[in-house]
Amino acid sequence: MSAALFVVDNLTVTLPTSSGPVDVVKNVSFTVDRDETVGIVGESGSGKSMTALAVLGLLPRGARTSGSVKLDGAELLGRSDRELRSVRGNAISMVFQDPLSSLNPYYTVGLQISEMYRTHRGGSRSAARKVAIEALERVHIPDAARRVDHYPHQFSGGMRQRVMIAMALCCSPSLLIADEPTTALDVTVQAQILELLAELQATTGAGLMFITHDLAVISSIARRVLVMRSGDPVEYGTAEQVFSDPRHEYTRMLLDAVPRIDDEVAS
Amino acid sequence: MTTTPALIEVEEAVSPGPSAPATPPASGRRILTTITRDKGALACVVFLAIVVLMAVAAPLITKISGWGPYQFDSAAINSDLGGVPHGALGGISGSHWFGVEPQNGRDLFARIVYGARVSITISLSATLLTGVLGVVLGMLAGFYRGWVDQVISRLMDFLMAFPALIFMIAILSSLPSGNRPVLLVVVISAFGWPYLARVIRGQTMTLANREFVEAARACGAKDAQVVFREILPNLRGSIVVMTTLAIPGFIGTEAGLSFLGVGVAPPTASWGQMISSSVSWYSVDPMFFAIPGTFLFLTVLSLTVLGDKIRTLVDQGAAA
Amino acid sequence: MTRYILGRLGGVVVILLAVCLFTYLIFFKLSPDPAVMICGKTCTPERIDSIRDVLGLNQPLLTQFWEFLSGIFAGRDYGSVHCSAPCLGYSFQTNESVWSMLTARLPVSITVAVGAAVLWLLAGVIGGLVSAVKQGTWWDRTGMGLALGGVSVPNYVLALVLQYVLVVKLQVLPFPSAVSFVDNPLVWFESYLMPWVVLAVGYACLYARLTRSNVIDTLAENYYRTARAKGLSGALIMRRHALRPALTPITTIFGMDFAGLLGGALITETVFGLNGIGKLAADSIAKNDQPVIMAVTLLAAFFVVVGNVVVDLLYTALDPRVRVVSA
Repeated sequence: MSAALFVVDNLTVTLPTSSGPVDVVKNVSFTVDRDETVGIVGESGSGKSMTALAVLGLLPRGARTSGSVKLDGAELLGRSDRELRSVRGNAISMVFQDPLSSLNPYYTVGLQISEMYRTHRGGSRSAARKVAIEALERVHIPDAARRVDHYPHQFSGGMRQRVMIAMALCCSPSLLIADEPTTALDVTVQAQILELLAELQATTGAGLMFITHDLAVISSIARRVLVMRSGDPVEYGTAEQVFSDPRHEYTRMLLDAVPRIDDEVAS
Repeated sequence: MTTTPALIEVEEAVSPGPSAPATPPASGRRILTTITRDKGALACVVFLAIVVLMAVAAPLITKISGWGPYQFDSAAINSDLGGVPHGALGGISGSHWFGVEPQNGRDLFARIVYGARVSITISLSATLLTGVLGVVLGMLAGFYRGWVDQVISRLMDFLMAFPALIFMIAILSSLPSGNRPVLLVVVISAFGWPYLARVIRGQTMTLANREFVEAARACGAKDAQVVFREILPNLRGSIVVMTTLAIPGFIGTEAGLSFLGVGVAPPTASWGQMISSSVSWYSVDPMFFAIPGTFLFLTVLSLTVLGDKIRTLVDQGAAA
Repeated sequence: MTRYILGRLGGVVVILLAVCLFTYLIFFKLSPDPAVMICGKTCTPERIDSIRDVLGLNQPLLTQFWEFLSGIFAGRDYGSVHCSAPCLGYSFQTNESVWSMLTARLPVSITVAVGAAVLWLLAGVIGGLVSAVKQGTWWDRTGMGLALGGVSVPNYVLALVLQYVLVVKLQVLPFPSAVSFVDNPLVWFESYLMPWVVLAVGYACLYARLTRSNVIDTLAENYYRTARAKGLSGALIMRRHALRPALTPITTIFGMDFAGLLGGALITETVFGLNGIGKLAADSIAKNDQPVIMAVTLLAAFFVVVGNVVVDLLYTALDPRVRVVSA
């Protein structure tokens, strides 16, 4: 079996607060393989987003990290901003929760995609624009050639998230990190986005690190699951393991909290 | 010029974005504790307290210092040299703590103290009048919309289009010297209120659409109750910030008008007017320029620093 | 869109008319005998009478006002003197048409405004940007401290201090003189340098604070985080994702400030003795030359109101989100 693509080993993230330094991520370890989806689940404040930010070196100023984060054997933690720039968007891409605020309202989506492409692959503006159109088509945005010149506010919520995904994938990253990509969307649109992610993963072979608080979403797409609580890794195993036979009480609590159609309503 | 930029800057900082929450404003107590802990702010408060003390207790202070603001001391100036004060630093001595004015020998300390009175009373009155006009008209326009809003907004456009400084000077110079301070306050406020009203109007419109207002109405609240109990408390932050930052602007405006000769009528003392008189003397008696200039600068600076801190606190209160 | 522009231009005309009427009322009705004021200090009773006659001051207000308005477009006769269109009035103290007085002095005010604007934009925006990026460091604290000081100094105090230090004591600059750029560029530059700096300081400090707070807000935005996550170069991120969004409100404020300055920087021009519109206003007020005061007021209001419209249109060009709504 080939070595795992992405290995996180004992990652700890410490943030400075007004009452002293606080560990928001404590000794988290997990791996993501090519073509594999790993879900990171937890309530808000569990440190799941911080884990993602730590990977790309996007933590707030004053944050300290320890442990190891390796992509294809190369250590990422502790590298300088300049060094990480060639990784961000290139080898590892990220999709964020709220596509409206995560896209610059002053520039067209085409420009925001092509600037990323040109940064990592170079090329002329017209070539990059073609890439942007292809990227939009790949995420099934209709009339891509026209919509590439539209501004973010001219897209609906689901479309905007597709744009973000298109942007994240335009340089063919080996790992895609999705931080609550469907949380801000309607349920029906959620399903479409999940389908899209699965399809793109199949075609590109990228690894997918999917962060969410929604257990139902995780159960449908993740092969392995990491459960986090207040920065601690609580449970880590395959999806079947975690969902059918959770070892930790917290996991059991989370599972129980999901309303089921055949539950009795307490009167 | 002096009023406008500060108010516009505050406008920009205070105008809420589309997602601005209407949260309880920072409490007065929190503001006090934060300010007393900050050394810079504390220094400002101390200085301002001195200035206010000067303004309030002017007659008492000048009785202690020995000279009134209108008394001429011809012994202190050297009439052979054209009226230059005796002694160094513009004539500072045990009898004249800040020296004397050239040519007429008036005690500079007394004039500074009485000048403080002018600056403080005019700027505070103007702030009060501007505040009342701005909040009332802004809320009316924002709450009732329709033709009320149209009329008030056109009036605001009209007043903001006027070159305020030119107009103020023109009006003040063409009217007789009769109750000058009142006239100054009225004129300054007439051109100042639209900037406050514009912000209040915008925020009132946003707030009037919020759910809690709808809920209040559903409970049977009448217009007046909605305005005073639901909307006004949420405007407190903006009002505090804008009025606090308007004060130094008004002090500057009054000083500027007095500098140009259309402010308070001589022999009433005003820092701006003293600076204006000092121009012809600054090569031989720079203290006559430096002392009122420094007081003016430090007063405006202290108020601006405090206003800034209050604005930061209010913003933090809103963002919390 | 054209309907919108036409509507706004209509509003401009209405406001200018209102300003005109109001100014006319204040100046010609507030003083007991405008003819005396207009005539000036050295005056004879016959001249006063002829002024009253020529200006039609005994006529009903609306007739007077109408004659003034029509004069703007069609020219007007003041007794034996003809004032060709656009006739904004006639100064009986200088015996000139007000329009020619304005056009002679406008270039000075424009020079002052443009020079100061360039200085304050560069200093303010760059200063604010650096402060925002280095938030909390020594650089930021010093910069903002200076900005606070700069905002608090009245510009005439600064003007006098600079003049005292640079012209009288150190003698590195001459007193400003009215020399044109073509005749002597160096002296021209030296004459304008102090007024530019004095005017620019206050605005630069204001804009630095404004830019800093806007950029700090932008740096906290989600799209800034996205830009970093995309691995873009530092300069590109700064330019497109930090500065550009922060500049939109600043551009509109700048438009208004600049428009206001075109009407003359009264205090600065007076202190430095520059013959611009501002100084003209100050001098005319001192001499009670009402027609000139009126025209200057009207001109300044014109710049502000038109500036307002330009700024609003500019905003729709600058912010794509607003564009769609107004289309």
